[in-house]
Amino acid sequence: MADLAASIKELTKTYKLQSEEVRALRGVTFDVPQGDYVAIMGPSGSGKSTLLNLLGCLDRPTSGSFFLGEDDVAKMDDDGLSTIRATRIGFVFQSYNLIPQLTVEENIEVPLYYQGRLDPSARQRCRELASMVGLGERLGHRPTQLSGGQQQRVAIARSLVNDPYFILADEATGNLDSVTTDEILQLFERLNNEGRTIIMVTHEDEVSAHAKRVIRLRDGLIQTDIQNTDRVTNLKKEAMAKIQDPAKPQMERKV
Amino acid sequence: MFGLRTWILGVKSLLLHPMRSLLTVLGIFIGVASVIWLLAIGEGIGKKAKEQIEGLGADNIIVRSRKPPDEGAGGFSAPKLFGLTRAECDTIESTIETIGSVLRIRELPYKFSYAGNPDVKPIDGRLVGCTEGYAEVTRLEMSGVGRFLKDDIDVNVNVCVLAGELSAYLFPFEDPIGKQIYLPESQDYFRVIGVLKPKNATAAIGGSLDAQDFSRDVYIHIKTMEQRFGDTVIKRGSGSFSAQEFQLSQATLRVKDVRDVPRTANVIKATLFSKEGEPRQDISVIVPYELLEQAATTKFMFMVFMGLIAAISLLVGGIGIMNIMLATVTERTREIGIRRAIGAKRKDIIQQFLIETIALSVVGGATGILGGLLCPAAVDATRFVMEQFAPKILDSLPEIVRETDAVIVPLSIPLAFCISVMVGVIFGIYPAMRAAQMDPIEALRHE
Repeated sequence: MADLAASIKELTKTYKLQSEEVRALRGVTFDVPQGDYVAIMGPSGSGKSTLLNLLGCLDRPTSGSFFLGEDDVAKMDDDGLSTIRATRIGFVFQSYNLIPQLTVEENIEVPLYYQGRLDPSARQRCRELASMVGLGERLGHRPTQLSGGQQQRVAIARSLVNDPYFILADEATGNLDSVTTDEILQLFERLNNEGRTIIMVTHEDEVSAHAKRVIRLRDGLIQTDIQNTDRVTNLKKEAMAKIQDPAKPQMERKV
Repeated sequence: MFGLRTWILGVKSLLLHPMRSLLTVLGIFIGVASVIWLLAIGEGIGKKAKEQIEGLGADNIIVRSRKPPDEGAGGFSAPKLFGLTRAECDTIESTIETIGSVLRIRELPYKFSYAGNPDVKPIDGRLVGCTEGYAEVTRLEMSGVGRFLKDDIDVNVNVCVLAGELSAYLFPFEDPIGKQIYLPESQDYFRVIGVLKPKNATAAIGGSLDAQDFSRDVYIHIKTMEQRFGDTVIKRGSGSFSAQEFQLSQATLRVKDVRDVPRTANVIKATLFSKEGEPRQDISVIVPYELLEQAATTKFMFMVFMGLIAAISLLVGGIGIMNIMLATVTERTREIGIRRAIGAKRKDIIQQFLIETIALSVVGGATGILGGLLCPAAVDATRFVMEQFAPKILDSLPEIVRETDAVIVPLSIPLAFCISVMVGVIFGIYPAMRAAQMDPIEALRHE
């Protein structure tokens, strides 16, 4: 158990829409070991967003359990979930979701602030994280002064600040062009190599191709849960870039 | 968690919309300033009224004769005695133990001129018969020239004391002491032995006491007046003739102990009025002590009323805050979602928005207090401007409006501040709760 970042058992979620019941998740079970890099995929209506909300502790399941470390998150109240979100989960969103009136540095500090852990050493760590994602020179800038890729890197730095059990990325590259997408995916891979657990929700095969493991959902159930044998890594990319036009490999893969 | 950082953050968020924040603050500014202003003006008016009544002396009871309405139309009838009589006054003085001293006053309208200067036209004035104690009780001060009447030496001698203004009219270039003034109507001469300092006229108080003008008074001893003029006053004009008979215009009764005033007043009324207790037409009993209590009640009512008006303006300001905060919450739904997603508890969100409203209202409150403190200066400035540009309008205003100074009530400052903070909390709590109750998933999806 100790080496699991997250463990989900028979998770269901039913929404009540007026008289109709929508069973978004019908019993999903999987474990995420520490250091794993999971891509969750599925068409719309597959329960992908619902699972994301449950994994992000933004919502509570109708039944089943969700262990984050030792604690069953499924049974926690609103404040408990807030604390879990603040301490154990690092969110990265599609639209970056930085707070516009705060600077880069302040945005990274927000999760620590809500835990009341904002001391000088913590602030130092925030600055280090900013440097790590390549924004050490732009600490005083506001999100509107940054490009999409830079904003997303601030968001990633923010997600790391509380040393989370896993990073939960929701279509993290959805708003980015292909070059920036590559940059962000490289950053994820680097973090994963350093031992970070990453769960990302995506509908793009090019993005999921970078993950170690791909879970496909269909109609609220897991359709497939397979290790990605043909994984695209930074090393592979570099190798391919040497022999081919940089735009080509993507096109080939699609075929 | 209510730390400095939260406040800085709140202020930062507010500064994102400087104009909006400014207008919101303005609402509270007006509310708080008006609390202080209205209380200050209310206090000023109350103080003025109190001073006027205190001028009569809280330990005094004033019994005043009133001329009853004329009976019968036209023609001459023998004058009928009215008002307080000497006998009644003596009875009161000798039978009511709580009364310390009695001051008898008789006032007659007369014309005065200066015997030594025929160019001075006779001037209408008031011949006041009184005793030594009069100057003290009515707070008349000597101008430094001569002395006031004395009971033991000035009786039955034609000597008088002049009011400052009258003296200046009759003797513009001369020392009045020792000079003779002339009363053309009764062909009497009086030697001037003293001059008083000019004194402002007193305003009428309620319906019970007329305004009194002391500027054209000539004071002689009441015994002298009794001797020289008798009780019947005959006025001859061109084609008119009237006579009235009265013995005393007024008796000012000083009560030994202020606490006995209401009781003593009742005994006096019982003595003077008929057994049925029906007030006499020709006498009014004025009790400044009761007037003071009435004035205090009136002032209290006035302050409550003023406070109510101020409260309404604060309410409007508060609604302004609430309105803005509700708009802000809607506008920042996404931010709330982000904050919730990365670990903010409901109470953190409540705190954040509450701090913003409190910051708005405190800034409004603090500036409002500064604005409120300007009240006395503003009142003075308004009066000055009126004097310069619209003196007629100023003169037409009642005295209490013309001369009232705003008096800042010290308590109103902390009060106003507390109110502004309370407005912030009360009107901020609902928008903040709404923000906190949002579903983070919905909030994150909000565009």
